[in-house]
Amino acid sequence: MPEINWLAIFPELTLALGAAAVLLVEVQWKPRASTLGWLAGWIVLLAAVFTVFQWVWAGDQLAAESTGRLVTFSGMFLVDGMAVYGRLALLGILGLGLAGAHGLYEALGRRAAEAIAITLLAAAGFSIMLSSNNLVLTFLGLEVGSIALYVLAGLTRERKGSDEAALKYFLLGSFASAMFVYGAALLYAGTGQFEILAIRDHLAAVIVARPAVIFIGLGLMLVGLGFKVSAAPFHTWAPDVYQGAPAGIVGYMAAIAKIGGFITLARIFVTGVIEYHATWAPVMAAIAALSMLIGSVVALVQTDVRRMLAYSGIAHAGFAMTGIIGGEIEGVLFYVVAYAVQLIGGFAVITAVSGPEGSASDLSEYRGLWRRNPGLAAGFALLLFGMAGIPLTSGFIAKFGVFSDVWATQPWLVILGVLTSVVTLAFYLRITVIMYMEGEEGDPIPARASTRWVVWIAVGLTILWGVIPGTLLSFVADAFAL
Amino acid sequence: MVAPGWYMALAAALFLVGALGLLIRRNALVMFMCIELMLNAVNLTLVAAGRALNDINGQVAVFFILVVAAAEVVVGLAIIVSIFRLRSTASVDELSEMKG
Repeated sequence: MPEINWLAIFPELTLALGAAAVLLVEVQWKPRASTLGWLAGWIVLLAAVFTVFQWVWAGDQLAAESTGRLVTFSGMFLVDGMAVYGRLALLGILGLGLAGAHGLYEALGRRAAEAIAITLLAAAGFSIMLSSNNLVLTFLGLEVGSIALYVLAGLTRERKGSDEAALKYFLLGSFASAMFVYGAALLYAGTGQFEILAIRDHLAAVIVARPAVIFIGLGLMLVGLGFKVSAAPFHTWAPDVYQGAPAGIVGYMAAIAKIGGFITLARIFVTGVIEYHATWAPVMAAIAALSMLIGSVVALVQTDVRRMLAYSGIAHAGFAMTGIIGGEIEGVLFYVVAYAVQLIGGFAVITAVSGPEGSASDLSEYRGLWRRNPGLAAGFALLLFGMAGIPLTSGFIAKFGVFSDVWATQPWLVILGVLTSVVTLAFYLRITVIMYMEGEEGDPIPARASTRWVVWIAVGLTILWGVIPGTLLSFVADAFAL
Repeated sequence: MVAPGWYMALAAALFLVGALGLLIRRNALVMFMCIELMLNAVNLTLVAAGRALNDINGQVAVFFILVVAAAEVVVGLAIIVSIFRLRSTASVDELSEMKG
């Protein structure tokens, strides 16, 4: 009889059953989109309560076992600090994402229920992915999340940008998923194990006769996850998807894919195959360096704010990856969450300026934004400074964290990272200058209350984590104490 | 009996064919078929590895990948159909609203 601990998967169960509940409520009562949104919000809150409960409960249980993690479902599923931290981050982003997509859901009319259900399922998928101990389950979670994201990219499919974004994301995303699962299959062929912890023990105990199969497998998995987090040279889908998908949901899509992708990357490479650290670290360093260079330089010449944020996201993928290269996890955990919050806040501003369904956000739309909506302009500027890593924002602490992790082993990467950070500052400042120094009086831009809340929560967290980083760092530290 | 290694070599070849096809072909449907080919190559690898290792896990994993492939078909074909309705073509070269 396999040991089954239902409590371990309560948050995911809540999200999945909640998605079904949203659809059933829609069929039975046909409520307004905002009512369904509130229902989804309560479901997220319930899942978060379960996760916090897990944190406390698992903390007690693990302190007794002193293994640092609870393995259940016959070794398929893990509850450890990293999983709980990642889940809480995903749920927080999900809450912000639902609020930020409010306008989009209303515009979708009767299709809102499907959109909300798929929004919930995407988070459930990535949540399973980052708590999985079994590569097949990791793949399943990855696909549940990714397939939901393909649908979200094509929500406004009658618009030409959205359908194009959906197809590009679907083709390249499925390609990446196939790469990932082939990598997992080769790793299985090489070690005879699917379980990440078992692979770690196997590699530590046995000298593998033919490591080439394992190296190819690891390379393919790195490519697959690199696609998901939009690291160069696997980034080509990101600008088109960010630009073409409906504005209301892009921030959410990008943020949860980054959180899920990086925590899984850390789990597989740092927890699983740390034995081969000397082999994968240089490859990952090359990917990180290329991401930083391509992301920051190509962003300079963009004229669409969303493409600019996409390229900046590629640079950020490079920065976050430097945190993994040192074989540490704390830095990258802090980084992805700080960045995801900034990203979702930034896209909330874009939603307000270009409309929730829009498929383009030209820079010229932002001219004189501070006259037309001073609050949005100030919020956007602060979030952009946070992404640039100005001191007293969470971006600074995050960059400091990942760079100090890698300083001892690969100092050139830190120097490159600092230089490209300066380059990224140039285009963040460019948007700020356009908002504050150009343009004449224009019609005021109204922003819904939900959008304003998302922006101000994101700004608040960015500054809070920048001024008192302990508020998030202590969570990260707890993720390791467990 | 053919040694499992040959099956894995065949699977690697199929995977390469799929990957190259995806990069070279320009019809969304054919590109999609290439992805399915890649997933089936993975299945063949898993079955062969499970056989070589005398372990049931590899063969069980195949079912999961089959289900995922089916789910991808559902979403992928829907996206392609909706594109075809809007533009009367399934060639990815026509999909170039966005550049830069």
